[in-house]
Amino acid sequence: MARTLFEKIWAAHCATELDDGVALLHIDRHLIHDLAAGPALTELAARGHLVRNPELTFATVDHAVSSAPGRHTDSSPLGGKLLRQMRQRTAEAGIRLFDIGRAGQGIAHVMAPELGLSLPGMLIVCGDSHTCTHGGIGALAFGIGSSEVMHVLATQTLRQRKPASMRIQFEGTLAPGITAKDLILHTIGQLGMACGRGHAVEYAGAAIRAMDVEARLTICNLSIELGAKMGLIAPDDKTFEYIASRPLAPKDASLENAIGCWRRLPSDDDASFAVEHSIDVRKVAPQITWGTSPQDVIAVTDRVPDPDQEPNPLHRRRMKAAIDYMDLLPGAPIAGTPIDWVFVGSCANGRLSDLRLAAQVLQGRKVAANVRAWVVPGSETVKREAQAEGLDRIFRDAGFEWREPGCSLCVAANGEAIASGQRSVSTSNRNFVGRQGPGVRTHLASPSMAVAAALAGHICDVRQLMA
Amino acid sequence: MKKVSIIQGAGAALLQPNIDTEVIISVERVMRFKRGELGPYCLEPLRFRSDGSENPTFVLNQPRYREATVLIAGENFGCGSSREAAVWSLFDRGIRCIISPSFGDIFYTNCLQNGLLPIVLPIEEVQRLAEEVASSIDPAMTIDLVAQRITSALGRGVPFEIDAGKRKALMEGLDEVSQTLKLAPAIAAFQAADRASHPWIYEGVARRSARVLLLAGDGIGPEIMGEVRRVIEWFIARRGLNLELYESLYGIASWRTHGAVVSEEAWTAIRAADAILFGTAGSREYLKIPRAQWPAEGMQRICKELGLFANLRPVRISERLSEMSSPHQETARGTDLLIVRRLAGDADMSTPPGVEQLPQRGGRRASKTTSHIDGEIECIARVAFEMARVRRGCVCSVDKANGRHAATRWRDVVQVVHDAEYPDVDLRHMPVDVATMQLVGAPRQFDVLLTETIFRDIVSTCADMVGGAIGVFPSASLGIAAADGRRRGLYQPIHGSWPDLAGKGVANPIGAILSFALCLQFSVGLPQEARMLRQAVDAAVASGASTSDLTSAVPAMSTAAIADAVLAALNQLEQCGSEPAASAA
Repeated sequence: MARTLFEKIWAAHCATELDDGVALLHIDRHLIHDLAAGPALTELAARGHLVRNPELTFATVDHAVSSAPGRHTDSSPLGGKLLRQMRQRTAEAGIRLFDIGRAGQGIAHVMAPELGLSLPGMLIVCGDSHTCTHGGIGALAFGIGSSEVMHVLATQTLRQRKPASMRIQFEGTLAPGITAKDLILHTIGQLGMACGRGHAVEYAGAAIRAMDVEARLTICNLSIELGAKMGLIAPDDKTFEYIASRPLAPKDASLENAIGCWRRLPSDDDASFAVEHSIDVRKVAPQITWGTSPQDVIAVTDRVPDPDQEPNPLHRRRMKAAIDYMDLLPGAPIAGTPIDWVFVGSCANGRLSDLRLAAQVLQGRKVAANVRAWVVPGSETVKREAQAEGLDRIFRDAGFEWREPGCSLCVAANGEAIASGQRSVSTSNRNFVGRQGPGVRTHLASPSMAVAAALAGHICDVRQLMA
Repeated sequence: MKKVSIIQGAGAALLQPNIDTEVIISVERVMRFKRGELGPYCLEPLRFRSDGSENPTFVLNQPRYREATVLIAGENFGCGSSREAAVWSLFDRGIRCIISPSFGDIFYTNCLQNGLLPIVLPIEEVQRLAEEVASSIDPAMTIDLVAQRITSALGRGVPFEIDAGKRKALMEGLDEVSQTLKLAPAIAAFQAADRASHPWIYEGVARRSARVLLLAGDGIGPEIMGEVRRVIEWFIARRGLNLELYESLYGIASWRTHGAVVSEEAWTAIRAADAILFGTAGSREYLKIPRAQWPAEGMQRICKELGLFANLRPVRISERLSEMSSPHQETARGTDLLIVRRLAGDADMSTPPGVEQLPQRGGRRASKTTSHIDGEIECIARVAFEMARVRRGCVCSVDKANGRHAATRWRDVVQVVHDAEYPDVDLRHMPVDVATMQLVGAPRQFDVLLTETIFRDIVSTCADMVGGAIGVFPSASLGIAAADGRRRGLYQPIHGSWPDLAGKGVANPIGAILSFALCLQFSVGLPQEARMLRQAVDAAVASGASTSDLTSAVPAMSTAAIADAVLAALNQLEQCGSEPAASAA
């Protein structure tokens, strides 16, 4: 029977079928982070349960930790309390913790693939909606809530109803300077933030095949912004080559054996999807969001939409509220909007290739006087490798602050926040009201677009800088 | 989780589409407040204006809808972040049901986990319900989960669909985890098959196994280690412990068989081991053997071969133990401390201890010096801080810092390591005389004690005697932590070989059994199993398992009977599930 990539991984993880079409899925990798790990493990212990498979559970410090240079446990007071609890509880359970200052620490969805903890065909969960990121390596990965985190800790399984399969084909070649981030933002703009709800989305097509693994991780990262908690890309030789050099990935005969299995994962030619979409990537221009959802996105050459043109009264009201919150003018060009902050980082774009691209645009130029700019590497490994290439010097010379790995300004859970009323261009994945701090106006973009805005002091077309 | 059947109360309409979980509850509020306290912060950005005043147009701020239990919401409600606190905040606010054309996938699941009923209806129906709530005199609605029927504010009946399994779970208030734990055999079967078909998932970084070598030694060693072996085999059989277990002769038995206290085969086994479980050493027979072969030298060589440098002496005095053995019951009960000290090595003597003639003055001078080499203090201090970090966060460094240069340097170096690398741990310094006084008078104050090498025996013996009987205390000598946190180690009870008791089957095996618990914790990387074993030992002791060294107040049991009691307690624990973390560590 012909099956999709998603259906193959789902079937391989079905420990048993429960009543009513709900499956009990076995979890290969459970990632836990500093915001939730301590409380979840404490609650688990209070209920008298043990962690069933601590060796399949991996903890990292990302959300609540400070990104300030020289940061330590209590640099973020609330984060410090959570970190202490996390250290104690993971030690009690025998869960490996990638602590601050130690190799491997970083944003969960950056460090796990780069360490080789996330592998093709695996079922990976984490108490964070951007867990879909690991789909870029050919895994089935999704975010779960606190109760489900406890269920996985206690049983190493999850009860799930199987979603339908959706495929989005990306045909053509991306124009020069257009990145995976632009492509996925454009896609969300086209298809809407509820498009993928109830579906596992597979991203396919020539444009995807052409991407390297880090770009694929970026694509899958924003699956949840499309409404799909699961998003995957079939593994191929690029994936296998990437994995071969990961420190904790299988090696030699074990890797050969695994690759043999992984080659059978891609969707069968005659597999069917409940829904199919197609995106022509050739026309995609650098993207920038204008509103308070990732679907509120336009090309940087476009104008802010006019709510009065929107027929649906509910949507019109929402657009008006968004434009009002963002303090923009309907119909005005988005380029030229002055900004206060630029943030390069997050699980969407905090990897080495992102920093390289950003550094290319920055080289020899200076951040505008009115802009505060931070670059937060996604992990200790990214930071170390970037420094080895001298990228940190390029960022610093240009006027960026080079900071310590973590989620930082993407979610502002560590006390670092942008001041109310200020406007930022951010390489993260959410521009909801108050995401980067109460009253903060966030514009999502690619790393090169973010850097271009930092240099100009306003939103601008990065292609002009690269001409 | 409370059972859900009928929900009654005012309905409030909030038809704005795409209300995300950040709007429902901000991450900052989640970090500051617990579940149960989040009600006031629900939907903050909509409830308040930028100047902090209440927005009178927001539905839940209006007197008519303030106490609403039903939210009639727009499309894609609860999209965005997976934070379950969004559900908690709505629940804390009084909402018990949300009706929407569509929900964020993760939010929908989170609702069900918390007894908040999410109902999906077509948008036209949702809008109609919203209109009725606005136009009716009384916005009260009824949601009947049993009959799967909504009664709108105008009394109109609206049926709704919901997954049968989810409906049942809500009505019965079932805890999913307990339900799934009943399926443990199916889960175990799946994992066993999966290990065979997808081995790479479970290898390398996800592997938990170890090569463990048993060296029984002299005197009572063989009989207590025989009981330890029974405990190990229980873990292998019942807990799926993955151990390569082997045994070599050591000491007099080895001398008799191989002509060496430690044979070449034994050395090969020692070098290959991840952990060594050692019994006891000591016998009058050694007087017939060259001194170089004596146990102390053998131990030193083993530690050197395995790179072991940190000696750990946990001292835990349970309630029962304090009653039975300690002369300081009231103060000792509940003591849970860990002594960390560097293993003695050659470098501890800057010049060999000795006696020299003093020709001018006449007579002799006997001297013994102590020294610290750079790096040694830092190394052992780090072990103490690492241990404290996952215990109660306090290190007490014991030295004798008046007028001795070496001691002053000890204090300074420990402080520097603390300030640079472990500022989150509490550090205090205590001279050894004060420390021993405090150990006797108020041992519960201590978490981790880091002692200068020269005081190692003084502090640890003092702590042992606070416990009253040395038969029950374990020890570990550890190497540096690997990337996954595991350490090679030598584990042994702190007591001697008691040659007079050898072969009589009356020696106490608890020190050796608890040493295996330390092995589980540090070398195998299974602290949950270690804790289970400690709980079993505590339970056995609490129910009367005792040898004559502990007390004469209860009948003494044999070595084997004590192990029987521990195994029975392990069986009990495994069947009932482990006790909550609040009890014995």
